[in-house]
Amino acid sequence: MRMNDALLGALLLGFAGWVWWLTTFFPSFPGQDYGPNLFPRILAAGIGFCALVLLLRGLRQRAPLLVVEGWMAQPRRVVSFLLIPLASLAYILVSDPLGFIPTAFLLLLGLFLWFQARPVVALPVAAGMTLLVHWFFAGLMRVPLPRGVLDSVL
Amino acid sequence: MDPLIEAFGLVFDPFVLAVIGLSAIFGMFVGAMPGLTATMATALLVPVTFFMPPVPALGAIVTATTMAIFAGDIPGAMLRMPGTPASAAYADESYAMTQKGQLNLCMGVNLVFSVGGGLIGVAVLIAFAPLLAEVAINFSSYEYFWLACLGLTCAVFMSNADPVKGFLSLFFGLLLATVGIDPAAGFPRFTFDDVNLMGGVNFIATMIGMFAVSELMRGAVTFDLATKAVPQAVGSLFRGLGEVTRRYWLNFLRGSAIGTAIGALPGAGADIAAWISYAVAKRFSKQPEKFGTGEVEGIVDATSANNSALGSAWIPALVFGIPGDSITAIVIGVLYMKGMNPGPTVFQENPQLIYAVFLIFILANLIMFPLGWAAIKSARQILRVPRNLLLPVILLFCLVGSFAMTNSLYGVVLMLAMGVLGWVMEEHGIPIAPLILGLVLGEMLEQTFVQSMIKADGAFLEFFSRPIAGSLGVFTLLIWLVMLARGFRRAPAAAPA
Repeated sequence: MRMNDALLGALLLGFAGWVWWLTTFFPSFPGQDYGPNLFPRILAAGIGFCALVLLLRGLRQRAPLLVVEGWMAQPRRVVSFLLIPLASLAYILVSDPLGFIPTAFLLLLGLFLWFQARPVVALPVAAGMTLLVHWFFAGLMRVPLPRGVLDSVL
Repeated sequence: MDPLIEAFGLVFDPFVLAVIGLSAIFGMFVGAMPGLTATMATALLVPVTFFMPPVPALGAIVTATTMAIFAGDIPGAMLRMPGTPASAAYADESYAMTQKGQLNLCMGVNLVFSVGGGLIGVAVLIAFAPLLAEVAINFSSYEYFWLACLGLTCAVFMSNADPVKGFLSLFFGLLLATVGIDPAAGFPRFTFDDVNLMGGVNFIATMIGMFAVSELMRGAVTFDLATKAVPQAVGSLFRGLGEVTRRYWLNFLRGSAIGTAIGALPGAGADIAAWISYAVAKRFSKQPEKFGTGEVEGIVDATSANNSALGSAWIPALVFGIPGDSITAIVIGVLYMKGMNPGPTVFQENPQLIYAVFLIFILANLIMFPLGWAAIKSARQILRVPRNLLLPVILLFCLVGSFAMTNSLYGVVLMLAMGVLGWVMEEHGIPIAPLILGLVLGEMLEQTFVQSMIKADGAFLEFFSRPIAGSLGVFTLLIWLVMLARGFRRAPAAAPA
């Protein structure tokens, strides 16, 4: 999925303006000419300039506003694609209440099965990888992975 | 104690050697799997090495990347799919050799000249880094400002992408670096009252998102596409190598020299080294018409170049704290985490650590020989690892890795956001590497800029007052001019379309 340069440029121009607007709330210090807003403003101007070039170039090219690749018409591929960010989102939402071990196991198992692994393979690999990662990061590296529902057991 | 002897003690320690061995296997695997890159291997390694002392942590990164850049050649020759972007320049050529029945020769050449090129890059690193450090010790904020500018400009200039989009990515990275408490005045910028953002944008979680999650999203779309049958390398890999070496030793030296030079340039790494040296080989070949038909000549140049670029990329990273490519950008992050801030002083304060890195580089290139041989021989098994199991497992590593970098879900949220952003950027032809370099160098660039402005009291000409700063400044401005001119020339050409 690709926006045309003109649309992309227009969006980025808006973004640059927003960044500049945010810098107007930065305090200035008396006697100090180069305050915290100087550098971000230079960058906002840079982004704005590049966005303008893209916008002008895009207007001249007259390309379609949005180009969509072939796979986006195939629901199965779209779901596969979306599953990666959605699985991450699910991890963010449930890992704390549920705990790392159940979350990771279900996440791996679900993805394995969606990607057409056989259940005989998917189940043991999901369980094994979950325990391995937990052992390595929580056990060896002392990363405080959330315990969740298994708090009393672990 | 002599720092060199101390360095030997640090490296030849059972734990460090075990870490190096495991990282070597990990690097071979990641490099040989198409779709998993050396940069991704490094980003995923950082959380694992987070709690280790500096030497094993750096050793793991050095070894894994050295292996991955070589291993990327294997699927290039066998499946016409480069394992890492650094092998893309000659994947077609290698595959053509395989189809002519010269798989063994192709793999032998790749292995031997990768080791050779790698060692040349390391030799240059060992010879020049300490010398440069002695010069750099007298640098002021002006020099560092121009060096950072030059490094960032090179990142845009050397990439194949549209310069406007390259600069866009760069500015965005620099802007991300301003998130958090402002270093000069202590004012929180762009934090939206979020406590996590006060500490800034975590750089490793960003890398994992940009280089791994976005790659997984792309991989998920094509997970079920059948892979071709993997040909097996039977027999000796080294037959005919003597003949190749006799005919093309000059190509080997030229490729290594180009690779070393490009690697040492801030902002350009192994993949660009391979493209350029392959093009140079074709340009100066006696039989350029044979390129693309399975001719070993260009492969000798390019496979030496990408491995030699790896070592020399550490020169600007160690001496100035300016990354030579996206891998050393991560290395710089790791150095800061380990409290050995890169810069000329590290050569005086911790010379044993620097020597240890040199030793590991040599060691990594030497063990590449047997391990690379084993990887070629077992390529069929490695490439048979099902992608439908691999993708979810890597995603789990990404999740846990970015969690470990912040010990909170903030890292995971950041990783997800950056993964989606990275995918959108790549879809629009906006390169990711300049953003990463901007994020790493942003604070240094802003600090040296504001410091210099205060020192000069706003007189920008002061930025050119010292000889080295002046030359660096003029050079940087020249590159900017060339890019502007190119941009203007390109614009009318695009108009009639």
